Amino acid sequence: MKIHILSIALCAAMSAHIAAADVVDNLLNTYQAAGAKDFSAGNGDDLWHQSHADPEQAGKTRSCVTCHGKDLRAKGKHVRTGKVIDPMAPSVNKERLTDAKFIEKWFKRNCKWVVGRECTPQEKGDLLSYLRKQ
Amino acid sequence: MSDQQTGGHQRIFVWDLPTRIFHWLLVASYAGAWLTFDDNRYLYEHTFAGYTFFGLLSFRLLWGMVGSRHARFRAFAYDWPSVSAYLRALLTGKAARHAGHNPAGSWAIFLMIGLGFVVSIAGLFTLGGEEQHGPFKGVMAFAAGTNIKEIHESAAWLLLALTILHVIGVIAESFLHRENLVLAMVTGYKFGSKGEAADSPYANIAVIMILTVAGSGFFYFKGYLNAAPDKPYIPFQGPLLPDNATWREECGECHLAYHPTLLPARSWQKLMADQAEHFGDDLALDEATTLEITAFLVKNAAESRLSEPAWKISSTTPPDQTPLRITDTPYWKKKHKGIPETIWKLPKVKDKGNCGACHLDAEQGTFEDSGMRLPKAIQ
Repeated sequence: MKIHILSIALCAAMSAHIAAADVVDNLLNTYQAAGAKDFSAGNGDDLWHQSHADPEQAGKTRSCVTCHGKDLRAKGKHVRTGKVIDPMAPSVNKERLTDAKFIEKWFKRNCKWVVGRECTPQEKGDLLSYLRKQ
Repeated sequence: MSDQQTGGHQRIFVWDLPTRIFHWLLVASYAGAWLTFDDNRYLYEHTFAGYTFFGLLSFRLLWGMVGSRHARFRAFAYDWPSVSAYLRALLTGKAARHAGHNPAGSWAIFLMIGLGFVVSIAGLFTLGGEEQHGPFKGVMAFAAGTNIKEIHESAAWLLLALTILHVIGVIAESFLHRENLVLAMVTGYKFGSKGEAADSPYANIAVIMILTVAGSGFFYFKGYLNAAPDKPYIPFQGPLLPDNATWREECGECHLAYHPTLLPARSWQKLMADQAEHFGDDLALDEATTLEITAFLVKNAAESRLSEPAWKISSTTPPDQTPLRITDTPYWKKKHKGIPETIWKLPKVKDKGNCGACHLDAEQGTFEDSGMRLPKAIQ
């Protein structure tokens, strides 16, 4: 009985890992089907660090770094509430990039906050290509 | 002055040890209760002062029947004519000496004991109703507890007035009869004639009294011994409030998952309906998630009165107002108005919505009075 549960847990853990790669690949395919061209991690890097004017505070800017911090392997901090954000880099945070719904929710939420609009499939693909390497 | 008037020049034993210990422990617990009543953080300490006060008064009732000569109620059960005669004599400066309590003092004492019981018992019911703690937890609703608190507080103020009269009386009589009555309550000795002396000091009973108070204090506060800076002790644990994994997960991503009990249902409905403009963010929650969270929030909203803050917030927010922030509710404002700006600006506080910076049980949503700690300004 115990072995049985263990093997199920093991299978689940392994499939989660395989799924992590699948999740990103599937999303990239979806983005290309929606008209995106080849993805570039370099462009994703630029997008990640690009500053946008803060519509609420004159003279201030917003970027992904505002909350996630300069080091993707370290914890970030929500700029307004101070809530700690787990590291973005999949190499230190195994849960990152494993849930397509979660990724899409945060793309919508954060692109709107940082850029002021939803990100295009091209931008999302570039960002994912950049992040999966971290 | 004759020997009769001064009461003789002999030092005689009047107040037995249990009576004196009772008196000063009562003073200490009474002062403790006054020092801790205003700041909700000290509810647990206030309650201990109350239990001690109540226990001491109960002892005094018993001691009034079986204690030594001058401690017995019968020894100072004066009728009104004696009191008024004494008071009139006092005005002319010719009041007679009494080895034990004088007639006016005795009435003050009976009244103080009676009011003391009113304060303690109303306090226990306030604790049971408004805070849902103590022996009367659950016997009444929050609203009834709040009403009883009025009695608790009015009686406490009356008792304070009586206490002041008592102290004035003691000082007046001390001057009048040139005898330090405060000191007499410490040493037990007064001037008088030999025939008026009390019989026994009852030291053994005094030892039991002190051990009882010290022992119960130890057990009451021993939780603090295991407390550490990262593991603070919360003496009063709040009720176990309803939880929901989706709510905790989704709302807890950017900020504390504010418990539904902290806002009226109409506020949660509006917040969830306007989720695309959630204080500058588009929450982008899918329909199933939105429905599940909304249902949980509405079902357990402030109107559910599942906790003291729920009852207070639901009863003090005007029905025509739909606050979208907990910090906009009248109750929140009232409870936080004394907090200095320097505290809000601390890096570890940062935002007024960061309840957990001071409320140790913010995650559970209970917001118990004794679960509060103001962060140190210099850290």
